[in-house]
Amino acid sequence: MDYTYKIGLFIPCYVNAIYPEVGIATYKLLKHLGLHVDYPMDQTCCGQPMANAGFEDKGLAAIEKFGELFKDYDYIVGPSASCVAFVKENHPQILAAHGHVCQTEGKIYDICEFLHDVVKPDKLPGEFPYKVSVHNSCHGVRELHLSSASEENVTRYSKIIDLLALKEGIQLTEPKRADECCGFGGMFAVEEQAVSVAMGRDKLRSHMETGAQYITGADSSCLMHMQGIARREKLPVKFIHVAEILASGL
Amino acid sequence: MNSKDQILNSIRQHSQVKYDRPVIAPDAIQFSDKVKQFIDESKRVGGDAVLLKDGEDVNQLIANLYPDAKTIASNVANITSTMNPDLVDTPRQLNGIDLGIVEGEIGVAENGAVWIPQNVKERAFYFIVDHLIILLSKDKLVNNMHEAYKMQQFTGYGFGVFISGPSKTADIEQALVKGAHGAKGVTVILL
Amino acid sequence: MNKNHVTSAERFLKDKEGAQWHNETLWITREKRDKMAMGIPEWEELRELASSIKMHAITHLDEYLLQFAEAAEKNGATVHWAKDATEHNEIVLDLLRKHNAVKVVKSKSMLTEECCLDDFLCDNGINVIESDLGERILQLLNQPPSHIVMPAIHLKRQIIGKLFEEKLHTEEGNSDPTYLTGCMRENLRQEFLSTEVAMTGANFGIAETGDVVVCTNEGNADMGTSQANVHIVSMGIEKVIPDRDSLAVFTRLLARSATGQPITSYTSQYRKPRKGGELHIILVDNGRSDILGNKEHMQTLKCIRCGACMNTCPVYRRSGGYSYSYFIPGPIGINLGMLKSPQEYYTNLSACTLCFSCNNVCPVKIDLGNQIYRWRQSLDSIGKANPAKKMLSNGMSILFNHPGFFRSALQMAPVVNKIPRPLKYNKFNKWGEGRELPEFAPETFTSWWNKNVKR
Repeated sequence: MDYTYKIGLFIPCYVNAIYPEVGIATYKLLKHLGLHVDYPMDQTCCGQPMANAGFEDKGLAAIEKFGELFKDYDYIVGPSASCVAFVKENHPQILAAHGHVCQTEGKIYDICEFLHDVVKPDKLPGEFPYKVSVHNSCHGVRELHLSSASEENVTRYSKIIDLLALKEGIQLTEPKRADECCGFGGMFAVEEQAVSVAMGRDKLRSHMETGAQYITGADSSCLMHMQGIARREKLPVKFIHVAEILASGL
Repeated sequence: MNSKDQILNSIRQHSQVKYDRPVIAPDAIQFSDKVKQFIDESKRVGGDAVLLKDGEDVNQLIANLYPDAKTIASNVANITSTMNPDLVDTPRQLNGIDLGIVEGEIGVAENGAVWIPQNVKERAFYFIVDHLIILLSKDKLVNNMHEAYKMQQFTGYGFGVFISGPSKTADIEQALVKGAHGAKGVTVILL
Repeated sequence: MNKNHVTSAERFLKDKEGAQWHNETLWITREKRDKMAMGIPEWEELRELASSIKMHAITHLDEYLLQFAEAAEKNGATVHWAKDATEHNEIVLDLLRKHNAVKVVKSKSMLTEECCLDDFLCDNGINVIESDLGERILQLLNQPPSHIVMPAIHLKRQIIGKLFEEKLHTEEGNSDPTYLTGCMRENLRQEFLSTEVAMTGANFGIAETGDVVVCTNEGNADMGTSQANVHIVSMGIEKVIPDRDSLAVFTRLLARSATGQPITSYTSQYRKPRKGGELHIILVDNGRSDILGNKEHMQTLKCIRCGACMNTCPVYRRSGGYSYSYFIPGPIGINLGMLKSPQEYYTNLSACTLCFSCNNVCPVKIDLGNQIYRWRQSLDSIGKANPAKKMLSNGMSILFNHPGFFRSALQMAPVVNKIPRPLKYNKFNKWGEGRELPEFAPETFTSWWNKNVKR
């Protein structure tokens, strides 16, 4: 890890508005590890919500802007596996289809993969003496490969668990059907409301059956969806992003 | 233009990038004890497999396995039977046989399947009997389907089947039932 | 019937117990597949091989079909070429008439379902007997299959028991699966023994040898074809594979992916007709050759119809086959429906969270989820985009293209938290039907950054 590298912080639109503490934790974590972190103020959205709904082109301007804003950074790091996966997997082909070059290729990382693969800390301060159930979000698993997919015959691994295990006192667990989708799916959550909530309820139940006090993951969108159900059904489980656990005590 | 030409033209018109044939030589599963694996798999798929012991009489074994069988059909030499299935005029006449005994040519350890190239007059025989015994030399066991298909031979009848366990279905509430249409039980006797 | 997945799924979920059973049962099938996959060290290599073999075969389809037809004809089979469903059905009827047959016993074939063969034959006075247990049950109920491998998965045993009481005169109140299956065995055996013509599908056609391969657990394909003098095979042109080395790869993957078994009970290879009988192979195009020209979606031609994608799909498991308007449901069905007619089947596109689990279980590595994403992009241009989603996307677009506006909007957003509950939660708020809305943070990240970090 070259500590002179400049990191551009990518704070997804809904993290900015609803879960700023996740962004703050990410920043504090990276600073603690001795990195140069900057936050381009004009960023808005990666374009995923529109694209997954079928309107890739409506995100084109935002996608181009994204490339412009981040082009001079050595790494772009953000606390959202889903958004990062979108930038990584989709920006290149959407831009290419309109004759543009993708300026973020090879540089974009989710905070978990960045820490695990690039920074490789062998310890983290602070403790988190709670039982935590890890939510393996779909884009995190199947696009970013943050953990091995349950469908595949590969050696099991989990970058998220490896990182969380650095926290003193933490008890880690995974739900049954460890990487089954929670049902958020962007606009799916609203368009196919009944199936979305049925999936969310099932996922929440699986997490709670582990006896965990917290549910954590690399995607606040999944957490937001499950949290909405937990609040409606008055269930006592708490939600926290992986970055927040890693940054606890900072 | 006839349909055949229309279809072929349509295919040629629409085909774009061509992909090469891959080399098919996977690092396929091998078993240190093919006999044991075959027997285990046969049981797992709802059938059975037994090893004929040294000096054991195969007809005695069959009688022990199926003591209640009344009609026993086989065209295999030196096998005790009450009828020869090759003597029927129509395949319907094979209905009602308790036990059929046939010979297999290749046994596949990874899935308990036995390749039987048609060696009876009516192919119906393999499916219509209530219980089926397949005689197979244990030297004819292979590890996996790659090896099996490389060895696969046909007889002049132009039909063959891999049989793995009895006929089964789970179409009613996923409850497994043996003997949907074909044999209710299959036992492979490894010679 | 222009079924809408959203409302159909809602209806499906109202039967909480039934929906839960459906979900659990299909998940168990997924788990059985996993167990098989994890037991074969070379599993991922096999999938890659299967994908490559299929890509090779479909991009050399004319060569392989010609090779197949030539080999089959040399073996004594008659090969027919049907450009569409109508022609396929007419060829079948023609063959039946030629043999003065008024009955045909069939084993399962999704292709014949695609061609609506059964209805066509019935309309022409032919008695069609489906012999696969699940398909037979549905035939008697006059319902379509809800899954391509486990067609009656949505039915409880009591319903089947009642049906058998009525149609087969079975014991009143007896819905034990073993008993019912035994009764159907007796009943269908009489049909097998008295049929002149038997029909099957084809899982694979081997170009090198002209063999037709049919995989069943019940043995019904063989029961019928071994009694009948005439065997008619309905085969989609994409089913042809080069040789038996290729077949090995597929017979290792098919049942493991479909039902979690190492292989089906019967893997039959038909090379020649029965002595004194006839073997007719109908090669059916019905849009498949057109798909070859569709670069974004031609991978669907690799499909070996195993159903693994349905078993893993969290949306299919919670909405059932009948929620989809195309006759094949789940991830592959969404894609095949769009290829058949986007205008007719676009409503199925909502049935996906883009979780990509289907990609990972597909034995031939079709990029199912990615294709659904791409179909969604095409909806607006065919005038089928969901207006609400379009409006939302437009709104988002405006917001996201104006950073200053975006930042201000976010600053003001917390006000929404305080809106009275009845105004926030009502029939216009779909999110709020089963969930609480998230709360906007009192201070955005941008605002925090400005205060605490920006120099």
